[in-house]
Amino acid sequence: MKSNLLQQLFTLMKYSLLIIIIQTISLNLLLADIVNAQKAQSIREVSISLESSQTKLFAILREIESKTDYKFAYNGKDLKKLNYINTSKDKTSVYEILYEIARQTGLDFKQVNQTINVSQSKKKNGGEVKIKTAIEPIKLTGVITDEMGEPMIGVTVRVQGSNTGMITDVNGKYSIEADTDAILLFSFVGYITEQIPVGNRTVIDVQMRLDAQQLEELVVVGYGSKRKADITSAVSVVDMKDMGNQPASNAARFLRGKAAGVVVTQGSGTPGQEMSVMIRGVSSLGTDQRPLYVVDGFPVGNEMGKNLNPNDIESISVLKDAASTAIYGARGSNGVVLITTKRAKEGEVSITASANYGFQNIPDSRRVKMMSGPEYAQWRKEQFIEKSILAGNGVPSIDDIPENYRYPEQTKYSTDWFDEIMNHNAAFENYNVTLSSGKGDVKSLVSVSYLNQEGAVIKTNFERFNIRANIDGKINNFISMGLNIVGSHSNERFANTTNRDAIIGKALWADPREPVFNEDGSWNDYIGGNGGTFGSANPVMELHQTKNTQGRSNLTSNGYMQITFLKDFKFRTSVNTSITNFKRNEFRPSTLAGTGFDQAPPRNATLAESYTNWINVSADQLLSYSKSIENHQFDVMLGYTSQEQTDRSLSGTGNTFPDDEIRFLDNAENTTTSSSESSWSLLAYFARLNYSYKGKYLMSASYRREGSSRFGKNNLWGTFPAVSVGWRLSEEAFMSDLSFLSDLKLRASFGVTGNNNIGEYNNSSNLSTEGYIIGGQYASGQKLSGFVNTNLGWEQSDQLDIGLDLMAFDNKLSFTAELYKKITNDMLLSAPLPIITGFSSTLTNLGKVENKGLELAIGYRTNVGQDLRLRGDFNIAFNKNKVLEINGDNDELWTGGFYGTYNRSTVGRPIGVFVGYQMLGIFNTQAEIDASPVQDGAIPGVYKYADINNDGIISYSNTGGDMVEIGNPHPDFTWGLTLGADYKGFDLNVLFTGAQDYDISRQIEKTTLNMDGVFNILAEAKNRWKSAEDPGNGWIPTSSHWKWERETNSRYIYDASHMWVKSITLGYTLPSTTPVLAGTRFYFNIDNLLIVTNYPGNNVDIDRSDGRSFGDDDEAYPVPRIVTLGASIRF
Amino acid sequence: MKSIYKIVSIAICMSCLSCSDDFLDKSDPTRLNAGTFYQTEEQFDQAVNALYGGLQTIISNQWQFGEFISDNTTLHYNVENRGNGPGLETLEYWQYIEGTSNVQSLYESLYQQLVNVNTVLQRLPGADINENAKSGFEGQAKFIRAYLYFQLVQHFGDVILLTEPIDEPSVAWTYARSPASDVYAQIESDLTDAASVLPPTLDASDIGRVSKGAALSLLGKVYLTRKNYGSAVTTLQQVLTLGYDLLDDYYDVFDPDMKNHAESIFDVQFQGDNDLGEQSGFTYNFYPRQSDGLVIPFPGVSGGGWNIPSLDMIAAYEEDDLRKDVSLAEGYFDQDDNWVAIPFIKKYYHDHSIQDRPDDNWPVIRYSDVLLMLAEAINEESGPGSAYTHLNKVRKRAGLDELDGLTKESFRTAVLKERRVELAFENHRWFDLKRTHTPDELATFLNAYGEIEKANPTTSRGGFGFTSAEYSFQPHEYLFPIPASERLINKELTQNQGYQQ
Repeated sequence: MKSNLLQQLFTLMKYSLLIIIIQTISLNLLLADIVNAQKAQSIREVSISLESSQTKLFAILREIESKTDYKFAYNGKDLKKLNYINTSKDKTSVYEILYEIARQTGLDFKQVNQTINVSQSKKKNGGEVKIKTAIEPIKLTGVITDEMGEPMIGVTVRVQGSNTGMITDVNGKYSIEADTDAILLFSFVGYITEQIPVGNRTVIDVQMRLDAQQLEELVVVGYGSKRKADITSAVSVVDMKDMGNQPASNAARFLRGKAAGVVVTQGSGTPGQEMSVMIRGVSSLGTDQRPLYVVDGFPVGNEMGKNLNPNDIESISVLKDAASTAIYGARGSNGVVLITTKRAKEGEVSITASANYGFQNIPDSRRVKMMSGPEYAQWRKEQFIEKSILAGNGVPSIDDIPENYRYPEQTKYSTDWFDEIMNHNAAFENYNVTLSSGKGDVKSLVSVSYLNQEGAVIKTNFERFNIRANIDGKINNFISMGLNIVGSHSNERFANTTNRDAIIGKALWADPREPVFNEDGSWNDYIGGNGGTFGSANPVMELHQTKNTQGRSNLTSNGYMQITFLKDFKFRTSVNTSITNFKRNEFRPSTLAGTGFDQAPPRNATLAESYTNWINVSADQLLSYSKSIENHQFDVMLGYTSQEQTDRSLSGTGNTFPDDEIRFLDNAENTTTSSSESSWSLLAYFARLNYSYKGKYLMSASYRREGSSRFGKNNLWGTFPAVSVGWRLSEEAFMSDLSFLSDLKLRASFGVTGNNNIGEYNNSSNLSTEGYIIGGQYASGQKLSGFVNTNLGWEQSDQLDIGLDLMAFDNKLSFTAELYKKITNDMLLSAPLPIITGFSSTLTNLGKVENKGLELAIGYRTNVGQDLRLRGDFNIAFNKNKVLEINGDNDELWTGGFYGTYNRSTVGRPIGVFVGYQMLGIFNTQAEIDASPVQDGAIPGVYKYADINNDGIISYSNTGGDMVEIGNPHPDFTWGLTLGADYKGFDLNVLFTGAQDYDISRQIEKTTLNMDGVFNILAEAKNRWKSAEDPGNGWIPTSSHWKWERETNSRYIYDASHMWVKSITLGYTLPSTTPVLAGTRFYFNIDNLLIVTNYPGNNVDIDRSDGRSFGDDDEAYPVPRIVTLGASIRF
Repeated sequence: MKSIYKIVSIAICMSCLSCSDDFLDKSDPTRLNAGTFYQTEEQFDQAVNALYGGLQTIISNQWQFGEFISDNTTLHYNVENRGNGPGLETLEYWQYIEGTSNVQSLYESLYQQLVNVNTVLQRLPGADINENAKSGFEGQAKFIRAYLYFQLVQHFGDVILLTEPIDEPSVAWTYARSPASDVYAQIESDLTDAASVLPPTLDASDIGRVSKGAALSLLGKVYLTRKNYGSAVTTLQQVLTLGYDLLDDYYDVFDPDMKNHAESIFDVQFQGDNDLGEQSGFTYNFYPRQSDGLVIPFPGVSGGGWNIPSLDMIAAYEEDDLRKDVSLAEGYFDQDDNWVAIPFIKKYYHDHSIQDRPDDNWPVIRYSDVLLMLAEAINEESGPGSAYTHLNKVRKRAGLDELDGLTKESFRTAVLKERRVELAFENHRWFDLKRTHTPDELATFLNAYGEIEKANPTTSRGGFGFTSAEYSFQPHEYLFPIPASERLINKELTQNQGYQQ
């Protein structure tokens, strides 16, 4: 089937190409004729024979007018006194006749096209004869390119005020004749019409600019599209045309900073990693905050997927309010991201190819500085001495100091492990070729792409192949069909990174006094593990020798058939399927030390292998009716959808292998295997009515009734209504004076949406295996595995949104403001159950959370002179999050740990604020300790905590009443700014993003400032507290103690307000006159250039989208700076 | 084009197929559903097996609350990793409070198991199965329920008493604690029922289940704890008639090769060295923390350094006590043959060929326990008299002299000491101390031990001195606090005296 399809596609391409060539040629010929017919001829070229050789001036002029196309324009007064004129009767040119008249009368003649102006010469008699002809038509040529510098076919080129015109050919070229004082108009749907005076030029190249804000533009919304002018809900559109070939391994990057209220964070630099997207704040205490992604009408889930090729994306719409998302019912409450992929453009045939190549590095400024070998030894020595003094043993003699760090200056090696695991100048490469044919009744597009991103950490990478083919055909006037097939495959070599036992953490704390290789060149396979320093695997060796890979293959197809009937009705049926195969393989050879502390090699090799298969199928039936009666416009849609997903997996683990070579389960001495299956399904009926009166008063209402397999028997079905209204004030007569306003719209919406992200089978009570040994034999057993809640239902959000859209000054200025309030009820919360039920929690619908906020977006674009174009877009979003209710007024939800960071959700406060001890400073003296509330076991140099409940004791427990809120992980506002400029062939785009007033708990410092002396620590720990006289920098404690240092406390909380210079792109497009590669665009891009912040960690983008515990920085895979060069060419 | 038609036809089919709620009816294909379970004899058999399976988890953590908390064992202080500070160490140093995680885990683990017991007992009466099998299941379930409540009531005092599972979450938040006496009444009733239906001897294929002897022994212990000495004596004396006896060699008692021998009344069964997942998990906790393959014979493998015999415990053995070397080691040799004086429990130290999969059973009730309980009960009721036989039987096997001529008080002391060494590291010590001491006496007793340990710690503290709060036992710590997390969600739940109310 696949090969048939390809064959068909190629045949189509061939015919389309032929058609376009013929069309272009014939159009040129046709236009040429028109031009000739209409062209004014010079008076030198037109000859006539006058009827008499001597007659009155008026008669001569009238005779010329009657015999030619010329008209004379004169002031009768000037001609009055002139009488008979002598001319020749023979056939002669009009010019010669007029010349003779001029000679005899002193009149001046000036031909402007068909008109001949007659005037009295300003000069006295005897002046020279003046006959001017203004007809010197210039042949103009040029190339029209789009905003990417690629030639545009089919652009209409017209001479203003005339019927002269043509369209550009396949190369974007045009050729037209016009006068020097004419003005050329270049126009194309979706682009700003350019007006360019001819002047003295013969070549006019024009780069067209997108009219992104054109009110006629269609915006993709749930189950359809809508004119931008008619939209009455909160929808942000991200147009890929503005992006310009940026290096992207995941498409979420295009959402960064582009839409108010859409926060994209890249918590990890793992190649190909999906970024986290959160829309309008954290709204749920129980389930996750990720939006629903819908790709070409197919709801694919809460991830857009690593396998989506960003280059295939045409546009992204982000649905933010309930009026726009309620049509997605129980999955709409976190917002919906609609991704539309490219299809062939009407009337266009092209091949576009692009190539990106670049390098990635972790900038020095974002690296954590640990102690060097000698520094570490020096610190251990000092620590030993300090402890000895503290124990009352006085200063030890040099011989008492362990040999391990007796002479720090003699430390043989100093290894910067973090630097050792960095892949310097890691390569990034991406190639795309797109073939598009949009002529005729059958249109098609094929795109092929390859991406390979090496990791910033050695021995990690992400590689992806994509192919997409789609075809849309009109069988006749009432049936059309289309099919889209996407195949993709990705391979990844990964390293387990986040947290201190993983590779990044380990590279920070591993003993710096050890070399990577032994002197004989072999791996130094055990780092530390002596003299009190914890032993660890060699991080470099671990990356080389563990082979962790995962890969996924996906085949997605979307097919539809659309029938138009009874004039106003349309029926569309579509089926989407997605099949994903995922495999994962992790092998840890025996040569490596263990993952934890002090686990010297050799150890038993381990292998974990798994295969998972997902099949996701959905089918939609849509019936729509569209009718316009005088001033009333109706659009009605009825729909029915069903979707089912089944996952099956098989996995096995094994340990103890005879060698490290054969890495298959068969070889393991001990193995375990498991297989599982799970599936979910949903059904929904929905309807939508759009109504507008005179395009001025707009109304939209939608309704969805949805059933889900995930919910309890008593609550299987839910209802999700929404309504929105809009008023386009700019269409009102009373606004007509404000002509600078091209659009002004007020709108309001309200709707109900749901969230069903609770996983499978929470609605039924299942059993789990609990075996025993009876009679010396295994006896299988079954026990209850959970508390069943048959009333489990939807988490429901009610959202109100008020918005204003404005466009002014010829659409140069655009402005949108949104005010919203969203209340999430009946959260799918794992509520704590009294343990007497047998279980500590069950999923219940309870609690209430409010998010309210303001979003502003402002854009401005203008031209400075002929060549310079400037644009700027700024958006900012303020969101306030508040828990209104949990289970009763005093209920609190805690996550985290005593030696980690607690996140607490309580009524009246935002979700998951940080809670811990309030660190007041460092105890300097025993006297100070004695005078303070009791901190059992405190010694000078440890943190002093606040006695919150004033009971005179700092309780060493989170229930002791001494913990308070110490930080808020939610920013007050987030913003994005895009600045752009075009100058001649150059284009420049800069993206800034930022977030203000929020906190991160730097969890990794519990390790990297662990003063026990068992790890390497931050270089700044040199400034620790040593004595009352030498108290250091005031926040690093003594190294002689462990208690009252690492408990969750305010010391580890940092303000992470920041500004990223996220990306800079500079492009240059070769002019069309270039002999080779005309129109090719070359570009240079820097991603993650610079971050301005006081936060000391390497990344401020901590994932805030997951549940209610967030903001913990446990040192993830660092996010690299990426510098790429690329070129794109279009034929 | 053919493919498009195909897809369209699938679409139309799908839309028809999925028009009903059937499409939304999904159940977990990998697991059984509780709604349809508990019908057949085989299903009840599996449900009861899981009750025993649940005991494996409970018993594997019991050392913390039976032994480690007492004067028998202590810990190898880990200077470098204070990660267990707020959990395990609070038990050793008697610093537990309402939020102590290990106390909370204990409370939770017992109730988590109770729901399964109560579900079996709720579903049994209505089940259409063989009556003999039914009463067998009932007897086993009631024994386990009694065992769990006996743990709860001894550790926490008054507790919520449930004999049926809770269906509705809404009612779960309102249960109050029942007086300890009510809980004991339920325990006694369950054990009496169990003893009446359980078989005196088990078929080979049933080894591992509880028998009449187990029920009577536990009931005897309950009476002893309630100071109902008369009933204790008559109940325990019934056990003497059931054919149990002491093994000749104390070592054999714990030898996995000898599992379920004549002395064993109830063992929680484990099986190691295979892939069944039923291996014992407790032993690795007890070996020295830095022994690195020298004690646990696998390269690089160390123990947890928990529950290590205190010097006080080691000194409790009389000279020539054959049990000492079986029960503990006072240290081990490092790679360079230097003696490392970190004691550890040896009782459960047996060879196993697969790392992390030891084969040892856990002895819950042994015949020597019954003999010593009987001796204690007789003495309390009527003085030493006939109690000597039972005490001396145990001493004789240990290679010790028989005792004679003791007063009631000194006999009481002798039995307590004998229990300490005979049943060492079998999680009896804490309840023995609580049974034989009032809270104030216990405070005096433990604080004296604390002083000894502080003055001469069993293991080095790496230069860190003891704080005043460590090893300071207050009488109210006789009972554990009700976990704060439970009180947070159930306002009816009161707290034991002395803890934050």
